Amino acid sequence: MLAVETKNLTKMFHKLKAVDGLNLEIKEAEIYSLLGPNGSGKTTTVRMLTGLLRPTIGGARVLGLDISDNLQEIRSRVGHLTETPALYERLTVRQNLDFFAKLYKVPETEIKPRIEEIVDLFELPEKLDEPAGTLSKGMKQKVAIARAMFHEPELIFLDEPTASLSPESAKVIREQIIKLVKKEKRTFFICTHNLSEAERLSSRVGIINHGRLVAQGSPGELREMRKDETVTVFRFSTWESNTKEFFADMKIEIVEQNQEQKYVSVIIKDIEKQTPSIINSLTKNNFQLVEVKHEFPTLERIYLEFVELEGVPREENNMEES
Amino acid sequence: MDLGRVKAIVKKDLREMFKSKYILSAVIGMPILFAIFIPLSTLYPLVAIDSNEFEGGDEFPDYFKDLFSQVIPNWDSTGAQGQILVIMSYIMYIVVLLIPIILPAVTASETIIGEKERKTMEALLASPLSEAELVTGKILSSFIPSVAGTAFAAIIYSLITNIMIYPFTNSLLFLDALSLVFLFVIAPLLSILSVELMILISTRVTSVRDAYQLGSLVVLPLMMLIIGIVVSYFFISVIALIGAVAILLTLCAIFFKIATNVFDRERAIVKLV
Repeated sequence: MLAVETKNLTKMFHKLKAVDGLNLEIKEAEIYSLLGPNGSGKTTTVRMLTGLLRPTIGGARVLGLDISDNLQEIRSRVGHLTETPALYERLTVRQNLDFFAKLYKVPETEIKPRIEEIVDLFELPEKLDEPAGTLSKGMKQKVAIARAMFHEPELIFLDEPTASLSPESAKVIREQIIKLVKKEKRTFFICTHNLSEAERLSSRVGIINHGRLVAQGSPGELREMRKDETVTVFRFSTWESNTKEFFADMKIEIVEQNQEQKYVSVIIKDIEKQTPSIINSLTKNNFQLVEVKHEFPTLERIYLEFVELEGVPREENNMEES
Repeated sequence: MDLGRVKAIVKKDLREMFKSKYILSAVIGMPILFAIFIPLSTLYPLVAIDSNEFEGGDEFPDYFKDLFSQVIPNWDSTGAQGQILVIMSYIMYIVVLLIPIILPAVTASETIIGEKERKTMEALLASPLSEAELVTGKILSSFIPSVAGTAFAAIIYSLITNIMIYPFTNSLLFLDALSLVFLFVIAPLLSILSVELMILISTRVTSVRDAYQLGSLVVLPLMMLIIGIVVSYFFISVIALIGAVAILLTLCAIFFKIATNVFDRERAIVKLV
């Protein structure tokens, strides 16, 4: 069974298409990251999948349940971290967790031990009886993530989970996500701008822009799609005036050359075959080669290319990402 | 409807409310003001006048006599000063009954618009709560402090008034059957109606402060309603009072339905998040 399956999922706000014919298939125990600029349709997608908004066209199944007629069951089986931590600031961390535990019908006898357990996991035990309003932004976010996971949902939607966290706290969250996927086969659907995190964490990523899915695959697959854009950097100990001519004679495209830093960046069509022969030629021609480095396209570069290809991201609208 | 979820909302809202100094001072201060300050400032000056020096003026019309002779067994032998005090006590009791209208405007602003202002509404809407559970929870959490405050005010008011008026009437005025009906039937219904109207207002305002201002507009028609109910009883009959209760019940049911529509996720996410 797929954890999430959308077919031509579309949401319109008046004339604006916030989500446009989205087709997704997310397997169980997968970490799927949806990347996109502000206003691209990420939050609207999650809101439809959690039953907060109704699709205008198309539909979706969440945990095998149709979102058009099983909303309450879907809501009780998924966890949802909204864009803001949204804690009750006058209540303590314990009271916040206890309240949501009751909304999600966690058995009374399990609430207390589970609170103790989850605050340990997220390194919050000393803050348990503090009012949520006194916590730092990062701690509030940790409590909100703990709240989204508290009722042990099978599928967890996280909107910018580590946006306000310190690197150490973000690491704790990432570790917990990976642990829950591996040990308990939970599925995570993450909306994020943090590309390096998506690359480290996700089994697959989708890039959404203007409500349309413009690319999808594992970070490796996306890199493969852009492998012809791998840049090779040759760095020298001394700069030779004929460097540019050397690469031109070999019919190799120069992307950048920097005389001060003594390097040249080129695009080699067949890296495996051509790189050794270029090194040989450079050595024979007395170029003082110090370093050769292949710079494979990062997810960030791929993402920016897809987003730019689709045009300038539109302005954030009040229906989206609000 | 899952009562456990409703109870969780009520408990959470009450905890939050009683940690707010503003709400706490309104819930405690308003009944004290209405129950102690108003009778002392209006009735006491009349009580303090020497009976021998009191000039009664014209006699009350017959319908007053008919009505109050049912309330005070010795109405005819009660002097003019005592009779005026009895009538004024009833009028002031109506002021006490404004508490269940005014207090929910404060508490509901906090629990409903407060969720919107503090951006906690989306997490609530994303939970498995049904619209009816959410509205019921919100009504109860505003209703409980308001009814408790009204009951407290009514008891204190009755105590003070009885102490002041007893020497003139030789009988206890409150809590009689009529005031009990107002306290336990009319006041709770008005409270519910007030919260439901505040839920409707919540879609139009973005802050608790705006809600207080707009809430005062809600209070006005309800005040007219309570005066209408009192008048209907005094000048028409018990049947008119029963009719008024029936109208209140119908209004509560209609506005409950409208309020649950406000929490329809699609609409709420646009208006309340």
